[in-house]
Amino acid sequence: MSVEPVLTCRFCGQAHRPVPLPAGQKARCVRCDSVLARGARLGREAPLVFSLTGLVLAAPAALLPFMSAGKFGAERTSRLFTGVDSLWSGGMPALGALVFLCGGLLPLFLLAALAILHARGRSARPGAVGRFLFRAAHVLEHWAIPEVQVLAVLVALMKLGSLVTVTIGPGFWFYAAMALSLLMAQHSFNLDLGAPQLEAGEEPADPT
Amino acid sequence: MSFPSNRLRSPSTAAALGLAAAIMLVPANLLPVLTTEMPGNNRTDTIFSGVVELWREGLWAIALVVFVASILIPILKLVGLALLLLGARRGAGGDARRLTRLYAALDFIGRWSMLDVFLAAFLAGLVQFGEFSTVTPRGGIVAFAAAVVLTVLATEAFDPRLLWRETPVPSDSP
Repeated sequence: MSVEPVLTCRFCGQAHRPVPLPAGQKARCVRCDSVLARGARLGREAPLVFSLTGLVLAAPAALLPFMSAGKFGAERTSRLFTGVDSLWSGGMPALGALVFLCGGLLPLFLLAALAILHARGRSARPGAVGRFLFRAAHVLEHWAIPEVQVLAVLVALMKLGSLVTVTIGPGFWFYAAMALSLLMAQHSFNLDLGAPQLEAGEEPADPT
Repeated sequence: MSFPSNRLRSPSTAAALGLAAAIMLVPANLLPVLTTEMPGNNRTDTIFSGVVELWREGLWAIALVVFVASILIPILKLVGLALLLLGARRGAGGDARRLTRLYAALDFIGRWSMLDVFLAAFLAGLVQFGEFSTVTPRGGIVAFAAAVVLTVLATEAFDPRLLWRETPVPSDSP
């Protein structure tokens, strides 16, 4: 027996019947006008391509020099997790862990989850692994934020201009490209399309 | 949608997390977040004094980015969350669409508040030149990170479908 797929708006709970979307078009909720899904502008395989690209870029981003700073002949080179190490050893392990998770580990998990979900395809019965990955991807969306770290590094560059001599290393460019790949993968994946089956029957809690 | 389980999503959870975030914002803004040591010029900055210093140095764009990300967004998120909770309690009615847009905006902007946390971590890792120049994170940045995490959790704990309970359900889309 086949299961009729349902697309549920994550903002108002309105159910919709999914239809194929032309490239570049958006489907909006009939009730709250939120964007439900976007037509694949870059092709159906774009999420997989961007996810795998991000995963490949992550290795050089973590291993290559991120930034070098010089002052009176002394030079210091930092890598992606040098700041995490400084926080950890400087008595702020919770802060170090937060930076490590949001800027390093969780973006990798989200890229891997998106790649696996796309490779498995969208099935009306996603199975236990599919349900777990969808839930994980929804949670990780808010905590995997490498683009904020990229902006922070750019702010630091401007701020350090008068303090030390700064040189951008290749690790930063790989990291920025990884962050862009993650954004593109998220944008092209339409995570909500897979969620309806997971949320079927769940009602919002009463305000108390 | 992104909270681990819908069972954990409730207005009371969102209110509790929002209140905790508001409390954490007090030490986050009063305590120093960074100490910069240079020969003849040692500075200890709070979030606000750091913004003022950037402005004085002529880095207006950067000062504006840090001000928006670290001061304005956390406050806007808490005010917005309070409006959403009031809307859910009283019944959003005709304001449901407007409040849903507010929720979507809060959901998007929250992440950018982490800017100062990443900035402190990056500076602490790079600027370590002993007596020549050293940047050290201080306790205020821990309180600020806690406030940011709590505001994100508070937004995730709010279920926007509550705003639509009293609104008629239209027929399915084609």
